[in-house]
Amino acid sequence: MDRRTFLKASGAASLLAPVLIREALAAREQSLVAVAEGTDYPAITRKVINSLGGMKKFVKPGDIVVVKPNMGWDKAIEFAANTHPLVVRTVVEECLAAGAKKVKVFDNTCNDSRRCYVNSGIENILKGMKNVECKHIETERFKKVTLNGHFLKEWELYDEALSANVYINVPIAKHHGLSKLTLGLKNIMGIMGGSRGYIHRNIDVALADLNAHFKSHLTIIDATRILTAHGPQGGNIADVKVLNKVIASTDIVAADAYATTLFGLKPADIPVTVAAYKRGLGEMDLGKIKIVKA
Amino acid sequence: MKRTPSRISQLFFLALFLILFVQTEYRGKDEINAAVNTFFRVNPLVLFSYVLAAKSWTWLLLPALLMTLATLALGRFFCGWICPLGTILDLVTTRIRKTTPIKALKGNTKYWLLLPLLSASLFNLNLSGLLDPIAILLRGLTFLLHPLAGLATREAWVGLYHLIGERRDAVAPAYNLIHDNILPFRDTIYPLALFSTVVLLTIIALERFETRTWCRDLCPLGTLLGWLGRFSPFRRIPAALCGDCGACRELCPTSFDQKNLVQEECILCMDCQRGCPHERISFRPSLALKGAGPLQPERRVLLGGMAAGVLLAVPAKFRSPEQVSRLLRPPGVRSEDEFLKRCVRCGECMKVCLKSALYPAAYQAGIEGFYTPLMIPRLGYCEYNCTLCGQVCPTGAIPLLPVESKRREVVGKAVFDKNHCLPFARKIDCIVCEEHCPIPEKAIRSRAVTVIGIDGIARTVKEPYIVEEICNGCGICENVCPLETKSGIDIFAVKDRTPISREPSSPYG
Repeated sequence: MDRRTFLKASGAASLLAPVLIREALAAREQSLVAVAEGTDYPAITRKVINSLGGMKKFVKPGDIVVVKPNMGWDKAIEFAANTHPLVVRTVVEECLAAGAKKVKVFDNTCNDSRRCYVNSGIENILKGMKNVECKHIETERFKKVTLNGHFLKEWELYDEALSANVYINVPIAKHHGLSKLTLGLKNIMGIMGGSRGYIHRNIDVALADLNAHFKSHLTIIDATRILTAHGPQGGNIADVKVLNKVIASTDIVAADAYATTLFGLKPADIPVTVAAYKRGLGEMDLGKIKIVKA
Repeated sequence: MKRTPSRISQLFFLALFLILFVQTEYRGKDEINAAVNTFFRVNPLVLFSYVLAAKSWTWLLLPALLMTLATLALGRFFCGWICPLGTILDLVTTRIRKTTPIKALKGNTKYWLLLPLLSASLFNLNLSGLLDPIAILLRGLTFLLHPLAGLATREAWVGLYHLIGERRDAVAPAYNLIHDNILPFRDTIYPLALFSTVVLLTIIALERFETRTWCRDLCPLGTLLGWLGRFSPFRRIPAALCGDCGACRELCPTSFDQKNLVQEECILCMDCQRGCPHERISFRPSLALKGAGPLQPERRVLLGGMAAGVLLAVPAKFRSPEQVSRLLRPPGVRSEDEFLKRCVRCGECMKVCLKSALYPAAYQAGIEGFYTPLMIPRLGYCEYNCTLCGQVCPTGAIPLLPVESKRREVVGKAVFDKNHCLPFARKIDCIVCEEHCPIPEKAIRSRAVTVIGIDGIARTVKEPYIVEEICNGCGICENVCPLETKSGIDIFAVKDRTPISREPSSPYG
């Protein structure tokens, strides 16, 4: 290549490059939400993960992974207050299969943590699995983190979540008295220490602050059964609707937006989703989200 | 260390007591080991005061009845073979140099303790647990020594984290082993902790004067057992010191410092039999009552002691109304009077309480309620699906209820304090209480109302309200209220504790 051709080529490239890069980014940025349905919960969980490219895409050999279910309440599995143990176990298994060095499962519970761990069924189902930890929260491990958010300037977050290589958010889709629904964006509260009730006074902005600072690499929403009223803890089997669905996305806002439709609501009805969308944390416009039935 | 049969038995029961003590904790199962309260259920002092006060019978105390019969037959063997406090005294006493016995405690002192307790029980004031040796030991362990052990270990564990951070995980299995099996899950600080421990240590310190000062001169359980045991045909032969020897005087841990053995103070350790240089001594059934000593207590002590109990029973009932309004009892306790007659203040419920909601009353329940359990919601709430306190209560003062019934039992009722509660006081959203309310139909609900904010701008806030008929007063709302100052919602005691009406669905509904 002589100098002239080189200059021409590089000139053309420098003109075209921004366009090309933008195109490439736009393609990558289209949010993908995978949905699977079936009564075999491990199978549908595996399906949605595979539709997103498989766990190997997120977990590299030797990684420390945090799998954060919602197990905040002392309720039996069928009451849809906690993430289904089979979904949790399958996610953990996939992480291990992808080469994770250690998988940590925990939640900062609302009821007595021992009862929550036992009666959610999660502690028991993970018992005996190698390189898997299901430990109770230890308060000294919360670290004050500067968030510089709109409402939360700083907050204590759990160091095991902060230091993990991969953070997988595994909420259950539930009604919530204040935020209408609790999904991926709200499940992040499980890594918060301190007086978490404080954020209720401005919960939408606070959750956007948190999620802006702390990213879930993968959000897997358990909608095998959902709690349609008296959330977030329920207690009445009549409020539970069995859907046999699992939803997954790397875009937490998109995952939440799609899950909202399961309740007959629109993403715009959920202030937390709207706040996160406005903050640029993801896509909530269902028309712009690619939904894949796995 | 001695290896006599009685000492081996003592060590066995001390170990059993400690094992049952650390098992008095939620360890992943809804049902706790039913044996954890055994030492109270075999306790004749608990039985006598319960029957006198409640004027009724409970099968929970059948073991205590059997112990009473066994003591009638064999004598005061409990003190020398079983009592964990007696064992602790025997273990430490060899290291304590003796001065001279306290004269003032000799004679009738023990009856002046036992008789008022029993007669007050008859007049509905059951205070026997205050001086029951097993209760004294358990409270000392529960309120200070166990939390202290937990706290110390935990501080070291936290210190290690600040030192080496996450690398601490390498030794986590060792810590978890201790924490999960021996230490309390939560390191609760209790009122009366210091007092309870001082009482226990004072009893140990009394060993300075002579062996088993507490058991000889004070313990109401020992006194009761001794009194029952004096009718036992099973006794030491000969009943008096032999004229040519007198070695028993040195061998006996309790009372052989006079010519005749005082039958009600013999704890049947049989050390004299083993130590006799002439092999003259035996323990066997005998009808000879010769040399049994004067029948105690004397009539004036008997009558005086009983009168003292009556005099105690009335003024002890004073209570301040402000305190009573917050006097929240464990779930299932519907009548304060019936509760007080049955509660032995042993501390078991406070030890086992899942959320550390129960604390000993120091002044809140008056003299008659000293050491009785009360719930302090700001420190801990009653977990909806937990029935542990009813399971460990040795007398059924806290009834053992199936979880479906317990959920409906009323501890108190929640009331909002609108001067503090955020949606009312500051016109901003909160409703953490509604979120946590465990009643499936929600005893705390909220409605969206348009209000003028403190900035003068109209906005919509969710104002909470209480559905009183289905509030069971569990206290989780007061516990989780995010206000740092006083809670925006309080649980108040109510007289009518009829269970809430609606049937929650099960299990864990």
